[in-house]
Amino acid sequence: MRLTLARLAGALAGFASRTAGRGRGETLRGRVTLAVDPDALRKLARKRDIVLVSGTNGKTTTTALLAKILAEGTGEPVATSVHGANMLAGVASVLSSRPGHRLAVIECDELYLPQVYRDVAPKVVVLLNLSRDQLHRTGEVRKVAQLWHDTFTSDDVSLIIDRDDPFLEFAAARAGHVIRVTFGGRRHPDAATCPACARIMDWSTGDYRCECGLGSATATVRGDRSLSGPGRNAVLAVEAARLMGAAIDAAAAVALAQHPPDRRAVHQIDGVAVDTRLAKNPASWRGALESCTSPAVILAVNARGIDGRDTSWLWDVDFGTLRGRTVVCTGDRRLDVAYRLHVQGIGVSVAESVAAAVAAAGPNVTAIASYTAFQDLAAADLGISQRSGGRP
Amino acid sequence: MTLTIVRLYHDLLSTYGDQGNAEVLVHRAAARGMAVSLLEVTPDDAVPTSGDIYLLGGGEDGPQSVALDLLAKDGGLNQAAQAGATVFAVCAGFQIIGASLPGAGGLIVDGLGLVDAVTQYDARPRSVGEVVVRYRGDMTEPLLTGFENHQGVTRISPAMAPLGDVLRGVGNGLDDTDGWSGVEGVHHGNVFGTYMHGPALARNPQLADAVLESAVGPLADFDDAWAEAFAAERRATLWR
Repeated sequence: MRLTLARLAGALAGFASRTAGRGRGETLRGRVTLAVDPDALRKLARKRDIVLVSGTNGKTTTTALLAKILAEGTGEPVATSVHGANMLAGVASVLSSRPGHRLAVIECDELYLPQVYRDVAPKVVVLLNLSRDQLHRTGEVRKVAQLWHDTFTSDDVSLIIDRDDPFLEFAAARAGHVIRVTFGGRRHPDAATCPACARIMDWSTGDYRCECGLGSATATVRGDRSLSGPGRNAVLAVEAARLMGAAIDAAAAVALAQHPPDRRAVHQIDGVAVDTRLAKNPASWRGALESCTSPAVILAVNARGIDGRDTSWLWDVDFGTLRGRTVVCTGDRRLDVAYRLHVQGIGVSVAESVAAAVAAAGPNVTAIASYTAFQDLAAADLGISQRSGGRP
Repeated sequence: MTLTIVRLYHDLLSTYGDQGNAEVLVHRAAARGMAVSLLEVTPDDAVPTSGDIYLLGGGEDGPQSVALDLLAKDGGLNQAAQAGATVFAVCAGFQIIGASLPGAGGLIVDGLGLVDAVTQYDARPRSVGEVVVRYRGDMTEPLLTGFENHQGVTRISPAMAPLGDVLRGVGNGLDDTDGWSGVEGVHHGNVFGTYMHGPALARNPQLADAVLESAVGPLADFDDAWAEAFAAERRATLWR
């Protein structure tokens, strides 16, 4: 009874929020539902088969891809997260809005994963990757890995992990069921020392081994070494969909990994098609720079809450591939970016607004943007002027 | 003469982009026509004793303990510092050069003892956020800015001068009577310690020059418009 009231109140709040034009309403809906019935998450998850997706990079796109191939492969509808709402309220909203769907694929924030895991009792948890991100909020990478290590201690869930990431291998070390996917190993920039025992690890083969035994467990699935980050995430999504009952043939699996969806959009700004990629931390910036070949590039960086308030990570990224190209820096922290590139010997200019940056960059342009800067570019597409005064 | 900058253990101590300090020093020294060599020291290498400037960055607790063990056993950094080399140490690196700090498992262990500073962890939440510091020395532009993110509280002895006085943020934290010390970092001879990331020498070109001058003496003027614009924007946004 209480749950019914909670769901109704949540739905009304979400509807009111949308009608009032105040965002999409998912988070508010979930928040109200949980306020009326604090136990709602556990009740809403009963008798359902749930997959949780977490990690530093690729949660939203991988969740969307997994929901899509799971629905296609089973012929059943799948409840899933939308717009990256991935904390408690977002999770409650997904389950509350689709009460009749047995299958659910849910994106979960790294720090909320332990609580969501305990409340919704998922069948499968997909762990994509862990690297430095929003250090002001999550603290150290090792602390997140330890939190997960202390969470997955039973045999009532199956984990699917990229075992090439030593933090994930450590996170899964006490779990009963682990499907390990390997792509042949690659150096993790934050893992010189072992997440389990703190010894210096041996990376001489391009893969890691530690005296304590971390890294010695055999992988179940071998993926193509040359895959991009989104491609590797797609391989994990295919494995999860198969475990949940989707029929996906080998050719389709390869195609998904070779051409994975990515967090990008093409925005029309003042008559210019701006190919825009979201990049949130050093690992995703490296990925975005690798795939960016246009003669002009806009780098848009803010440091508002969700972006991470500390911009030091700019110095963890090598911008060398931009040398000789037209580079325009914009966003609240354009001078941080400009100086970082200047020290690397790359010529830059700065622009105070998205429109000015597009005008300076010319017609053949890619934009790489931090989270809120990505939203500013989308707003410029809609003809809404860039938010000003958002000083960090 | 070639200016030799030694960056210690990038893989262990570089959590917050602190290697940018090395890039900035190289950039500003080269702009003055100096020949500069940047030596990367890994855990497999002996620490050279002939460097002019040694850089230590921030790191997570585990790697910090490993780095401290390596440096204590090697002895090269202490030898160089005693001979007058410049040391610029940030966050975990700042804690490492002190007299004692929490080691593996939280037990207090001896630091390298380059400065008389004692670090302890307490129950307070991590100190995270922008910092503004008024540099203790004579500088045309005495305001420094950075971003701190640390658990430790570091008490420097009365014989040590801090890097500066805190105008915004936490800095070293509490003093001996558990009141706010109101100071940030340490500056003892040619040894600099600070909690400021940013990286600190990118956000504060005048501090980068102070570090260079401690190694090579007075510098020629170098007006880098991008560096000055960035530093001025940070000061304006955070303080004035």
